[in-house]
Amino acid sequence: MIYNTFTVEKGVTVAIALGGEKMEAIKNNRLVKKIGLNRILLVIVLLVMYGAFVIIKPSFLGYSRIMNALNYVYFLGFLSLGVTFVIATGGIDFSIGPVMFCCSLVSGYSLMSYGVPMAVALIISVLVGMAFGIFNGYLVAYWDVPPFIVSMASMNIAKGLASVFTKTQSVSWPQADADGGWFRNLVKIGEIPVGLFIFLGAAVICAIILNKTKIGRYILCLGSNSEAVRLSGVNVKKWRMLAYVICGTLVGIGAIFFVSAYTTVQPGYGDQYNNEAIAGCVMGGTSMAGGLASISGTVIGVLIIALLQEGILALGLNKNYQLIITGIIVIVAVYFDVLGRRRRN
Amino acid sequence: MANQTTKKKSPINFGDQRFIVFLVIVAMCIFFALMSPSFRKYTTLVSILDYSYYIALMSIGVTFPLITGGVDLSIGTGLICYSLIGGFMVTHYNWPVVAGILLTVLSGALIGLLNGSLVAIMDIPPFLVTLCTCMITRGLGSIVVGGFGITWPNASQPGGWFRSIFKITLEDNTKIPIGIIWVILLVLLMSYVLNHTKVGRYTISIGSNKEAARLSGVNVRLYHIIAYMISGVFAGLAAIAYSAVFATVQPGTGAGFELEAIGGAIIGGVSASGGYGSVTGSLLGVFVICIMKTGLPFIGLQANWQQIITGLVLIGAVLIDVIKKKRIG
Amino acid sequence: MGEVILTMKGIDKSFPGVHALDHVDLEVRRGEVHALMGENGAGKSTLMKVLTGIYTKDSGTITYEGREVEFHNAKEAQDAGVVIVHQELNMLNHLTVAQNIFIGREFKKGFGIDDKKMNAEAAKLFQKLNIDIDPAETMGNLTVGKQQMCEIAKAISHEAKVIIFDEPSAALTESEIDELFKIINDLRKQQLGIVYISHRMDEIKVITDRVTVMRDGTYVGTLITKDCTKNDIINMMVGRVIYEDPKTQSSVPKDAPVVLKVEHLNAGRMVRDVSFELRKGEILGFSGLMGAGRTETARAIFGADPKESGDIYVNGKKVIINSPQDAVKCGIGYLSEDRKRYGIAVQKTLAENTTLASLDEYSHGLFVDKKAENEVAQKYVDSLATKTPGVDQLVVNLSGGNQQKVVIAKWLTRNSDILIFDEPTRGIDVGAKNEIYKLMNRLASEGKSIIMISSEMVEILRMSDRIIVMCEGKVTGELGIEEATQETIMNMATREIG
Repeated sequence: MIYNTFTVEKGVTVAIALGGEKMEAIKNNRLVKKIGLNRILLVIVLLVMYGAFVIIKPSFLGYSRIMNALNYVYFLGFLSLGVTFVIATGGIDFSIGPVMFCCSLVSGYSLMSYGVPMAVALIISVLVGMAFGIFNGYLVAYWDVPPFIVSMASMNIAKGLASVFTKTQSVSWPQADADGGWFRNLVKIGEIPVGLFIFLGAAVICAIILNKTKIGRYILCLGSNSEAVRLSGVNVKKWRMLAYVICGTLVGIGAIFFVSAYTTVQPGYGDQYNNEAIAGCVMGGTSMAGGLASISGTVIGVLIIALLQEGILALGLNKNYQLIITGIIVIVAVYFDVLGRRRRN
Repeated sequence: MANQTTKKKSPINFGDQRFIVFLVIVAMCIFFALMSPSFRKYTTLVSILDYSYYIALMSIGVTFPLITGGVDLSIGTGLICYSLIGGFMVTHYNWPVVAGILLTVLSGALIGLLNGSLVAIMDIPPFLVTLCTCMITRGLGSIVVGGFGITWPNASQPGGWFRSIFKITLEDNTKIPIGIIWVILLVLLMSYVLNHTKVGRYTISIGSNKEAARLSGVNVRLYHIIAYMISGVFAGLAAIAYSAVFATVQPGTGAGFELEAIGGAIIGGVSASGGYGSVTGSLLGVFVICIMKTGLPFIGLQANWQQIITGLVLIGAVLIDVIKKKRIG
Repeated sequence: MGEVILTMKGIDKSFPGVHALDHVDLEVRRGEVHALMGENGAGKSTLMKVLTGIYTKDSGTITYEGREVEFHNAKEAQDAGVVIVHQELNMLNHLTVAQNIFIGREFKKGFGIDDKKMNAEAAKLFQKLNIDIDPAETMGNLTVGKQQMCEIAKAISHEAKVIIFDEPSAALTESEIDELFKIINDLRKQQLGIVYISHRMDEIKVITDRVTVMRDGTYVGTLITKDCTKNDIINMMVGRVIYEDPKTQSSVPKDAPVVLKVEHLNAGRMVRDVSFELRKGEILGFSGLMGAGRTETARAIFGADPKESGDIYVNGKKVIINSPQDAVKCGIGYLSEDRKRYGIAVQKTLAENTTLASLDEYSHGLFVDKKAENEVAQKYVDSLATKTPGVDQLVVNLSGGNQQKVVIAKWLTRNSDILIFDEPTRGIDVGAKNEIYKLMNRLASEGKSIIMISSEMVEILRMSDRIIVMCEGKVTGELGIEEATQETIMNMATREIG
């Protein structure tokens, strides 16, 4: 099965790469052009994967499976949306996973041990994320520190800070019926997946920011050619930093959805979500070289990753297989990005 | 262009940086010793050294990809993975320890080969490749051992001899940390490789001006791959050190080790943008981190502070590098 | 001079749209220093690239040491003994001198590299060349001059029989040039054939035996150096080109207000004490040879590179420009010579590039007003006659001339009154060139003030109202269009040591 999805993914991309005559015809179809071939193919991959899982495990049709997968979508989605902005500038942030954990630990510990109100705790979570974004962005944009070094450093600072703050204890957020449990309504009310709507709403806002505002315009342009933007009299440093701040803020929001779905957070972890968030992003067609980004692509990418993780669990395989598979997906997706760029030049 | 005249100023001066790092080490030791009497004990020295072996070995290896202008983030989780694979064969299939050790190192070499090939041949950014192999090795290690920790043979068990490679316990229970001898020998060896062999020369060339090296007829891809293989092999050696020093190896751990190794290298003077660095500098840098890690609890700070401080020190070290480069232009 | 070692005959080479070399001849003898001269773009470098196998020739023959040869790459040429010392140094700054010289062919000793032997061999080389450089010194610590010497030593270590120097003195100081000449004289004594490409007339007289002059990709002639004068050579270089609509007099009234005044600008060694004025509606040509410091001056004015000192006045008011942001606020726009690197965001659309410098005006709060943006983009597509399927076309898909128009549109959208055109027609085909010229004239007549940096003499004489000539970072002359001729400009642009 693993091979199945993998070859589908590969086949699809190879088809794009080769682009036979028929492909040309499809590519030039008006509707296809409007939606984007890449996105259509991604949706097909998503559906084929789902179909395959259903055939192997009919229980996959169950509502609870879908809800489980959605739980994964929420927090990962916010991470992935955030990192899309950073990658659009041509940078990278792989501190997002541990930072998300740090957000939920710091805010959760404040909630449980210092008794701050729930609403304040949620705000703290977002602020912590934003603070990391400011820290990362400032170092990258104003001090020219390579993004990967900044990521590495803040990944560990996040872990250390969370451990120090919580005295290395895990934090469990209140259950739905407990005091302050209302925050779980953010994810679902009864059986209605409210979180999905919030996430999609956030994605729409992100898409608007990226495509309709100055912020997105400058971020994409400086990802495409930073020097040309600078010579046009634009404050490149400011906008580059803003991309990291947006990312950090979204990570802080993602942290809320993580605890809403999974309740307990342990200090010292979170690395694996870096890769999954980046995987969702690059699979969706955002170029590692910067300048090209697609929010809708990221959303579909995240759905695929979440489905994959649920599928792997359903097949009785453990989390570790998912680490390996997402690793391979990222490498393959980035390789096709590299190939595409080589061909264009 | 405007700075050609300033080129006369020496942009590269390993000597200084290493000397400064050495002074920092001495200062740290004095500081901790003054703050806490128990820091002065012999056992503290032994435990600093115990902690330093695996980080030092990783650091020696990762110096090479760093000098090419890349990075290897897979060494931390890789270390655990290799140790698990080797240890699993020893404990579950009764492989002799020698064979287990060889397998451990070999696994490192293979992941290094994979990293190197993806970077050199497919042109994928190094941090991305190794971030992925970091996850892959973590998953792989857990899958191989089925999620359970591995305990390499104890000193008293058959095959336990390998633990005394790093530490000999005398009859009166005095421990002699002889591992430091091997680490120093390896540092000398890799210093020689870096400075006096083609492998080292071309590693530096790739980081300095890859295109110029290619045009001079250097097989750039091959040596790029070799740099990552060296990193992998040393992660394998670090896995042996780790298995020898610590009782059990737990799957799913290892993330963050790479920061200590890479941080050590950068503190020791390796440029984050490639082109220069030294193995001895990396070793000194590692000791800064290890002494801090061991010393902080003595002055009442939790070990977790060390993670934060390491992160900040890393950024500080890179900032020095960035500012230096800005001045030279 | 000894026997002939290298003959190039009837060399022809075309690139799409350009006939770069049109049956060019060159003959080099043993023990000769042969100058190769010509204006920028005359084809000197192309000829040398054909010789060393970097380009393949379309037709013609190369005879080397009595045999017809064709090198397929620089390494083959090098192995045969034809070596080029590039203008841009290709050095590994982190390695030592000896390590650089022997990179790729190190001496081995057991498993290791025999650095001692490499140092000794390098020292021998330097001794032979009478150069005082420590082979164990790190390359990055040497001055550009010394690095050049190392490059020469590297060339010689390849058993070179023909060495090509491509503007070797461009980055050197006086004393370094003397040292270089000593080396070249030694090489001549050792019966090597030397090709010397340079713009510096005085050097040609001092060091070379013969001069071959090229113009517009054609062979003009070969002279014995000591029998000719500087003017002979200049006349051969400039030729008698007839060009369209040459400007005969300035269209700017004498009392037109000064919009930009630069005083005593210093920025690195390429911009030394530059002062000039630009008047409203004027096209001010900046002429000079490659490496004269014109682009550096423009970048310093625009705040793209840091400057050391100097004052800038815009419309009579002193302004402080520390970044392109400041410059743009003062109404200055810069069109780079290298559009792909500095001018356009290639993966973005024409409309997005058009408003890049003035997005604030085309957005409400944070939101970009796409409609207004498309309208203004369309407006300039129409008025500049940009050929594009639509304003949502990616700029990467446009031709060079149309990309240039997009950059012009960007600055016009910003309402910039002072435009710096750096090599505005580089890489643009002839038809589009004329359009750009017309456009620039139109802009000037509409009251924009233009600084035009150009290496093409014809372009300078056709477009400028006034001409500033630079040489080695300094302004060496200022001419009204009425008094300017190719000869006078070339005289100012080439240095004469007193």
